[in-house]
Amino acid sequence: MSKNFYHYPVWVRLWHLMNAILCLTLVVTGFSMLYSNPDNALVVGFKRAVSIHNVSGILLTMSYTLFLFGNLFTSNGRHYLITAKGMGKRLWQQGYYYVYGYFKGQKAPYPIDADRKFNPLQQVSYVGVMYLILPMLFITGWAMMFPEFILKKFLRFSGIFLTDQFHVILGFLVVIFLFVHLYVSTMGKSPVSNFRSIVTGWQESH
Amino acid sequence: MDLNKLTFSFLFSVLLISPAGAIPLQADPGEETKHISLYAADNEKNCLVCHGKLLYTITDTVTGVTMKRLMSEQNVINPDVFYNSVHWSFNCLDCHAEGFKSFPHPLEARFESGWNCLDCHGNDPNYAQYKFEEIDAEFKRSIHYTATEGVFTCWNCHNAHYYNPLARQDSSSRDQIYKSNAMCLRCHGNPDIMGMISDKGLDKVLPKHEWLPNVDRHLEAVRCLDCHTRMTDSVLVAHEIVPADSAVKNCTDCHNKNSILMGTLYKYASKENRDEKGFVNGVIFNNDSYVIGANHSKFISLTGILIIGMTLAFALVHIIFRIIIRPIKRYHE
Repeated sequence: MSKNFYHYPVWVRLWHLMNAILCLTLVVTGFSMLYSNPDNALVVGFKRAVSIHNVSGILLTMSYTLFLFGNLFTSNGRHYLITAKGMGKRLWQQGYYYVYGYFKGQKAPYPIDADRKFNPLQQVSYVGVMYLILPMLFITGWAMMFPEFILKKFLRFSGIFLTDQFHVILGFLVVIFLFVHLYVSTMGKSPVSNFRSIVTGWQESH
Repeated sequence: MDLNKLTFSFLFSVLLISPAGAIPLQADPGEETKHISLYAADNEKNCLVCHGKLLYTITDTVTGVTMKRLMSEQNVINPDVFYNSVHWSFNCLDCHAEGFKSFPHPLEARFESGWNCLDCHGNDPNYAQYKFEEIDAEFKRSIHYTATEGVFTCWNCHNAHYYNPLARQDSSSRDQIYKSNAMCLRCHGNPDIMGMISDKGLDKVLPKHEWLPNVDRHLEAVRCLDCHTRMTDSVLVAHEIVPADSAVKNCTDCHNKNSILMGTLYKYASKENRDEKGFVNGVIFNNDSYVIGANHSKFISLTGILIIGMTLAFALVHIIFRIIIRPIKRYHE
């Protein structure tokens, strides 16, 4: 019998919604700029894409600040604390479950419950994205809004070129994360149960 | 000739020979002289002894009194820059009236007519590669020529004493962009000059280009010419300056894979087929620039798209297996 528990407080759900909308907007406008075409805009025209990308980037920075404070001052932050000891083994077990055990009908090695919001693979990827990739995206993104602060040259390359390429690489990583995140979210009790949880706040255990 | 035309003529004559007009845009005065002219000694002994510096000495042949005088700046030629220009090998009197040989210069010598580029270079097979005739045709269609009823000449931008072809060096380097833009700003950056040209002249002084994001970065990375001329396939540097309202104002004209900059600012570099180093429009890096949308790393784009594709393919295979085992899983549950 499944047991429901309140997993996502209101502020997390609101932040998540804002984060999702802004990240998608940034990805779409980012691709529109990178593969800009005057005859056939990818989704939005270059000029509009630049404006929307800048505004979304600023809003995402603000929403990220909210997330940081939330994690600092509420119990949500503990889910992002990684215990290094035995992490390799836990990651292997979870990965093995996704590619093999799941199909064999095995029980999830680290089922989601009231105390465990993320399985080990989720935890590592979320920590990586939230505490490493996003801050670097913010730094490089803000730098490009104020390019006068970027080093003119670094290792014989234009500073703005390196900053932008780094921003693009990080952007690609976020896109990959988004796809994986969305797909793994379909692997709950039912394909839609996790999506329902992030809307209602109530999580069904596996 | 009406009053406006007279004003133009006067103003451009002043510009041509004024200190601003004489700024050696095409070479740095500090550069080491590259050429040794056969006529250098002759020039220096006869002409540059006075015209090569601001202060010159004259001697009264009757009284023997010697005095120092200030040479009018418009008549000073910087020898170092002259000998670095394309016309370095000339004797002053090859172009200037023979009368200037004697001093004091006779009045009739001062009535010499000024030469324009085509007077020497037009229809000459030796210079065919530079397409002077096409440049001239473009120039005659430009707003500079049409709006001034032909008073504006090559000299207003290109001082033959100092001329060096920027575009045939590396037009896209920041230094060359600065020099090219300085040519425009000599007038368009000076309200005193523009204000005298016409009633609307002041409107053409350093327009703020506020529609550009990061204006300063744009203005130091591209030449005025790149947006304010009609792009041409034939000549290296377009000379048909268009009216301000016809200038490029669409971001994607530059910010796309087929950027017009490849036919303007980077024309020389792309013609030279420089290594693209795995980048779309890699020649743009000669400028230490990065034009979003116009150049990016092919490697990063391909790798990114490949990994995204692999992720989606993996998810698809996973879904297929999930669908296949669904009945079995249900049975076990």
